[in-house]
Order: sequence, then C-alpha cells, then structure tokens
Amino acid sequence: MTWRAGGRAAIALVAFAVLARLPAGLDVGFQFDAALAVIWGFALLSLVLLTGYVGQISLCQATFSGVAGYAAGMLVSTFHMDYLAAVGLAMLASFALGVAVGLPALRLRGITLAIVTLGIALVFDKYVFQDHAFEWLTGGSGGWRVGSASVFGVQVDSSKHLMAAYTILLALFCLVALLMVNLHESGAGRRFRAIRDSEVAAATMGVDLTRYKLLAFGLSAGVAGLGGAFYPLVAGSVSPQPFWLFTSLQLAAIAVLMGVRYVPAAALGGVFMAFVPDVLTRFGHGTLFGRIQYDISYDWFQVAVGVLLIAQLILLPDGVWGDVRTRAARLRASIRKQSRAPQVKVA
Amino acid sequence: MTAFAAYTIIGLSLGGIFSLAALGIVLIYRTTGVVNFAHGAMGMFSTFVAWQVFYGISHPFWPAWLATAVAVVAGLLFAAALGLFLDTAVFRWVRSREPVVKAVITIGVLLALQSMASLIWKNNQYHLPIYIAPQTWTFMLAGVPVGANSLLIIGVSIGLAFGLAAFLRHTAFGRSMRAVSDSPASASLWGVPVGRVGAVSWMLGSLIAALAGILITPFINFDTTSLTLLIVDALAAALIGGMVSLPLTVLGGFALGLLETYPTIWVQSLGFPRLVALVVIIAVLIVRNPRALAVSSR
Repeated sequence: MTWRAGGRAAIALVAFAVLARLPAGLDVGFQFDAALAVIWGFALLSLVLLTGYVGQISLCQATFSGVAGYAAGMLVSTFHMDYLAAVGLAMLASFALGVAVGLPALRLRGITLAIVTLGIALVFDKYVFQDHAFEWLTGGSGGWRVGSASVFGVQVDSSKHLMAAYTILLALFCLVALLMVNLHESGAGRRFRAIRDSEVAAATMGVDLTRYKLLAFGLSAGVAGLGGAFYPLVAGSVSPQPFWLFTSLQLAAIAVLMGVRYVPAAALGGVFMAFVPDVLTRFGHGTLFGRIQYDISYDWFQVAVGVLLIAQLILLPDGVWGDVRTRAARLRASIRKQSRAPQVKVA
Repeated sequence: MTAFAAYTIIGLSLGGIFSLAALGIVLIYRTTGVVNFAHGAMGMFSTFVAWQVFYGISHPFWPAWLATAVAVVAGLLFAAALGLFLDTAVFRWVRSREPVVKAVITIGVLLALQSMASLIWKNNQYHLPIYIAPQTWTFMLAGVPVGANSLLIIGVSIGLAFGLAAFLRHTAFGRSMRAVSDSPASASLWGVPVGRVGAVSWMLGSLIAALAGILITPFINFDTTSLTLLIVDALAAALIGGMVSLPLTVLGGFALGLLETYPTIWVQSLGFPRLVALVVIIAVLIVRNPRALAVSSR
C-alpha cells in the first residue's frame, strides 16, 4: 500500500467515524433522511463512475436503484431470504440490467444515449414498476413490506433500529467511495478515462471498447443498486414513486450540480437530495413578519434544483465541489507565493 | 376491421402530436445546437396558461369559440415570451459550450418548469381539456366516427411541416436560419444576425410546443407530468429524422404514434406500447446511427 492509498483509507475511516454518530441525536424523521442520503449518495456515486470517469450519459440511474430495491424486497418477502444475500442478488440483477442498457451504448453516444436511457427510465416507470404483468417483482400496488432484518448480525428495521441501517449503509458507502477513488488511478480507471476523452483514440491504444463500456455500465448500475437494495429495509416498503423518471432526472441534475467528476460530491449531493426537501416541508411554512403566510412544499426543491443547475452550468462548469477544489488550490498557491515573495525580491 | 380503423385514427392523432413537438425540437436544434429536453415542459406550461385563461373567462354570455380563441392566443403569446426569455436569460450565455452541456441545462429548465407548474396548478388534479373544435363534430371515415379534433391535429402537423419547410427554403429569414444551422461562424461573417436567429428559433419552437400541448389535451390525461413526458416520444421522432430532416421527423412521429397505439388492441396496458416503441427506436438508431449528433459542427 502506497502512502497515498493509505492516506485515502485513513480519510475514509475518519469520515465514517465522524458521520456515523452525527444523526444519533436527531429524531426518526431525520435519521431516515440520513439513511436516504446514503442511498441517493450511492446513485450519485454511480453517476460519478459512469459520467465522470467514462463520459457516458445516463438518465436512468433511479431505475437501477429501483430494480434492486424491488428485487431485494421480493427475495426477502417471497423467498424469506437472508437480507445480505438478497442485497447481493439484487446488485447482480441491477448489474445485469446495466450491462443490457450498455449494449445500445456501444453504438450510441452523447445525447442520443441520453435520450435512449430516458426512454428506458420511462418504460420502467410506467410499465415494469406499475403494470400487473410485473407483480411478481413489484408486489402489486401495495409493494413489499419489509419489517426487520439482521445484517452482519445487527438488528435493523425502519423505526427503532434505523441508526443501525444508517451505520451499515455509511460503512458500505465509505468503502465503495474509497474503491472508486482508487479505481480512478488503476489500469481499468485509465482505460475508462481514455474512453471518456476519445473513444477512437482509446480504441487505437488497444482499449477493448465493448468490454470496458459494458463493464462501466454494469458497475455503475451495481453501485446504484447497492444503495437501492437497502431502500425496502430503510423505508419499510418499496413503491414506484421514489424511483420514477423525475428522480432519475434529479439525480443527473444534482450529480452535475455538485461536480460529476468527484467522489465526495456524491456524498454532498446525497445529503442535499435527502435533507433539503424534508427541511423545506417541515419548517417551510409559517408567517413572515406576522403578515405574509408562506408554505414551501416539495415542489420548491425541484424548482431550486433546476434553477441551481442552470446557474451552475453557466457560472461554475466544474460543479460545486470542483469549484471548491479549484479555489482551495488557488488559495494554497497564493499562500505559498506570498511566503516566498520576499526572498524573490531580495534576490 | 372497424376497430383497426379506429385505432389507426387514434394512432395518427397521437403521431401528429409527436411530429408537431418533434418539429419544434428539430428547429431549435438546427439553429442553436441545443437538444431541448425541456420542450415538453415548455409546451405543458403554455398549455396550462391557455387552460387558465379559458376556464377563467369562459362564461355562458360569451360564445365558446371566442373564449377558446382568446385562450389559445394567450397561450401562444405566452409561449413566444417564454421562448424569448429562455434564449436571453439562459441559452445566449452558453452558445459556445459543448452540446452535452446545453442539453443538461435544458434538463434544469425541465425540472424547474414542471415543478413550478405543479405548484401553480397542483399535481394530481384532473384538468378539463380544451376542445378547439367542438367535441360533437365528427365525420364518418371508413366506417368509424372521426372527431374533428383528431383531424385538426393531423392537418396542423402536416401543414406545419410543409409550412416550416417552405419558410426555411423561400424566405430571407428562413435562409439565414439555415445558414446558422450549417455554420454559425460563417453565417455571422456573411452578416447574419446569429443571436436574433437563435431568439426567433426559440420563440418559434416554443410556439409549436404550445400548439402541440393545446391540441393534445382532449386525448391524454391532462396534467403536468404527462405533457412533460411527451418529450421522450418527441425526441425519439426527432432522432428518427436524424435531428435535421423535417419530412423524416414527421414520418417518424406518425410511425411512433401508430406503434404506441396498435399494441393496445391486444394488450390492455399503459406501459407495454412504450416498451414496443423503445425497442423499435433503439433498433432504428442502431441501424441508422445518426452521425448528425455525434459529429455536430458545434
């Protein structure tokens, strides 16, 4: 293990230690948001891999999460499977779906691919998640109810032991995030980035486009699915609403907004996506100056996402996290220059 | 056989809407290089403005046609203003950016417009449609009654496609639009006002989207999401036309409309026809592989 990799592992451990206890003092509603933040964090992380590393656009990440969520719910409810085994199989299912979605991506790229993935999200939203023909997967209009489960020997459910679910999710997230950062520098990561920069050049250098594009789609769907598979456990049941087309669009928007090339931006985006709507609906109503009544609903969140995305793409092309990084680097450089400046003058 | 004819009429009406919406998308893409994911949302918002005006002023004292006319004009005026606003406030500033960035910006526009509409007009409320032609006007065609509103859609979409083609070919402004679509840099060297051409395309595109939205209200669940989601079919029709060809786009729209209607003869399902349409679109795209998007001049 090199020093850099060790440093990253240490950062991941510290982040886990700090974040794990953070929501403990909050009420159940915010603890649910915290767990949800990690689930959406996984979906955003999957976009960092697919869009940030490999340059493929996908507007159906919520579909991958949803398929894994339904698969996990079905396996636990119908076959009474151990939850961890169900999560593993659900990830496999979303990996397979990702590879299938990647097949048209072998021929299509850019905006054409975005349109096709939007169509896929629509088909799953309107057909698979809502049609009678797929009740074996979705459990009908009631969805699957998942009471409680034991994960890694820890009792987890959606009300009393929500913190346990959050801690396990967070540990998995830190692990996957660490793997993602290391992937960026690995051989596969270099091939991914070569594909992003120029497919023709990558193919000329001997990168197997078919293999690495399908791998990227599969891995990305698997990462999104890992989060989604925990959804039934965290929420107590699965329904189509959280995984509908507009969630996929929001995921893409928030990933770009926070900085689609950076792993920490996914965590930031997950927190944004889970907490902001809840805070708005909880505290967003009342009276201003004793006169003006205001009532901020969930829809304001989506308005904000849209407007922020437009402003960000015009003003900060690299996303919020990318901008913070550049500013920090510039600050460091200017401090270094200042401390060196007098010597230069004397010389 | 009559059932088949009836479904054909429904499919053609739906296809007419897809073609109309797709025409607006192609127009905006060709002159500004923006693949507009917000096209459905823009049409939806303008349609709701028309709806608001219609149900605000409709009154027994007025003849219904007058209220309808005022509402449609109000909706179209709003649409043109919306197009102009989006061009001046947003897309003017990103003209030199990559196509993908511009497309992602339109996703932001989509999200903002859709949620603003559901804030104003509520999300799950069922809204009464706007009938441009009275509902009672029907004609017998091949043994099935055909509503005047269906014929209107089919006529307007075909007429607009020809009108737009003629406008692009034979008028000075249309020629400058085509010049910009071929190469903005050389067009501006020839003295074409590239900025103004972009603004007019946005206004025209938005207008066409509003027209499509208003015309389709009698045929679908009229709410904020279903009109926004028309974008998927409209973009698919535009892709069949390679994002450039107007006749192919219209043909693609009608083909898609029929494709999404015929399966409902045999399968009672809202989603299944979408699957059929998606598979066909992917197949068409893989065979045709539109280079127009991949190696765009911008």
